[in-house]
Amino acid sequence: MNISLLQHPILLVAKKEIMDNIRNKWILLMTGIFAALTLLVSYFGSLGQGWQDLGFTIAGMMTLVQYLIPIIGLMLGYSAIVGEIERGSLNALLSFPLKRIEVLIGKFIGLGGVLSVALLVGFGIAGIVIGANVSEVDVVQYISFLLASVLLGLVFVAISLLASSFFENRSTAMGMAVFLWFFFTMIWNLIIAGIAIASGGIDLMLSEGLPEWYYAVNIINPISAYGTLVSLNVGPVSASPIEDILSTPEFYSSWLMVAILLLWTILSLVLAYVFFKKRDL
Amino acid sequence: MPEKKIKCPSCGHVTTVNGNPGETVKVICPSCNGIGAYQFPDENISHSIDDSFSAISVVELTKKFGNIAAVESATFQIKKGEIFGFLGPNGAGKTTTIKALLGLLYPDKGEIRINGTEILSDEKKAKNQIGYLPEKVAFYDNLTALQNLMFYAEIKHVSKETCLPLLKEFGLEEAANKKVGAFSKGMTQRLGMARAVLGNPSILILDEPSSGLDPRGVVFIRERIKHMQEQGATVLVSSHILGEIQEMCDRVCIINKGKIVAVDKIDNLGSRLRLRPKIVILLQKMTDAVIKAVEKVNDVDHVQAKGTMLEVTCQASAKANVILAVVKAKGNIMNLQIREPSLEDVFMRFTEG
Repeated sequence: MNISLLQHPILLVAKKEIMDNIRNKWILLMTGIFAALTLLVSYFGSLGQGWQDLGFTIAGMMTLVQYLIPIIGLMLGYSAIVGEIERGSLNALLSFPLKRIEVLIGKFIGLGGVLSVALLVGFGIAGIVIGANVSEVDVVQYISFLLASVLLGLVFVAISLLASSFFENRSTAMGMAVFLWFFFTMIWNLIIAGIAIASGGIDLMLSEGLPEWYYAVNIINPISAYGTLVSLNVGPVSASPIEDILSTPEFYSSWLMVAILLLWTILSLVLAYVFFKKRDL
Repeated sequence: MPEKKIKCPSCGHVTTVNGNPGETVKVICPSCNGIGAYQFPDENISHSIDDSFSAISVVELTKKFGNIAAVESATFQIKKGEIFGFLGPNGAGKTTTIKALLGLLYPDKGEIRINGTEILSDEKKAKNQIGYLPEKVAFYDNLTALQNLMFYAEIKHVSKETCLPLLKEFGLEEAANKKVGAFSKGMTQRLGMARAVLGNPSILILDEPSSGLDPRGVVFIRERIKHMQEQGATVLVSSHILGEIQEMCDRVCIINKGKIVAVDKIDNLGSRLRLRPKIVILLQKMTDAVIKAVEKVNDVDHVQAKGTMLEVTCQASAKANVILAVVKAKGNIMNLQIREPSLEDVFMRFTEG
């Protein structure tokens, strides 16, 4: 039977996820949050001096964005698989002629698409408003920030689908999603900073700088990779104050950061499929 | 001379037949005397099972959860075009088997074929032929009935135009644009049936189809199932309502503690268990003469008097003679009831212990 690409099961599942998020106004809410956040930081971030340029705005809101995008990505997808299993709707869906991999990829495209659209439209509208009010506009810089943010969103949607495929019930998957958010936004940096201080001492660290391994381990965290990617393209920005005083090592590059973010996405999806595939429904 | 092992689709007995390549041989099952035919292929290819007349074929299916076998070495075949009852007590392994048929869980051992297609090797082709009503019918509550049905229609590449007429047929026309979250159990069940018959699948798997339906709904669903059969569909029905199974099904399969304990026509199962009809006679007055007269009738197994009520268990051929004996012994019959062996009797016997 000849079917058009739009009738492919993956895209049908993706379309349903997008339509669900349009219906329940999630996409609108997220778009509003991203736009409002950007406009507020740009206008009020400089203590009454009016609109600030896009580079300053990005730097000003990075800390918030690094917290916000991961939690939204995780909340979007944590129940996508396990929630449907609990309700019984996945059994019905999978009795139809489609494969588990198609359901998983469809959900990833759908949820990733929802978050990407919210980020692009929210930040995009704000960028246009700010651009109209400031004299210098670096469009390429802002677009690189937008694309990096989309990549970070996709990483956490993929991680949430992994949690959703692995855990037996929705509440455990949600608990894991919240834990992962804490882990990547706070615990990771604390652990590696703690190890660095314990192994070299704070005096040595201040005089000779951090060891090479610190930089390597730091960017394994997708949030740090994202922060570094934006820093490399826009200017120094970070959720971790310690990183502001650090110079970036030579092996840091935009391509490496993009590769790390893509690797997180792909690895999470592959693992999600492995768990989902062998799961008895 | 090539040899072929053939499983009887009626009773499951495996028999060996011999024939030359290309030759068609008549096969008589030594267990149930069922008659069939088998054509040997031109080349002598050995198959473990004959799927040519089977819509669903399950061979040695085993599924364990931890150390507990939910289903153990289950083997049965469902013939094309029959309504097949799938019975068993709670926790016997019915739902596990049904889920394995749909590829929703992975067997530890065994093979499942849907119209000849192994479910796990080509699940899309196999599932494209199936319509499924799960025990726990679930939809997307935030979507309307029509939106839900149209989503599934798209997945199955069935025209979305068929959805509204289908909702109308299942009595849900007025609720088509209502969100499913607000539906009653009966309405959800009807919608579940509408989803199962989307695209007129050649196989219907129905887990508790009457659940939550009012009597009118039960009759409607039963007629719809029979209608599907008339159109050539094969139907597997799992239900606890034995009367419904008895009325609808050509054959039944009874599973108990994960093992298939019987597969046959209900009458054959009753005969195999030597189940007898029971005659209950209400007399105006009970006398010793009546009891003795009945006891003397040939093929009467058991006679019991309770007040003015006489219960007689006998072979089917002795029923008329029992009544005649009562009349001859001047017993004044006030009421008479003959209870034929039912599926309930068969079920209870096969699942006892």
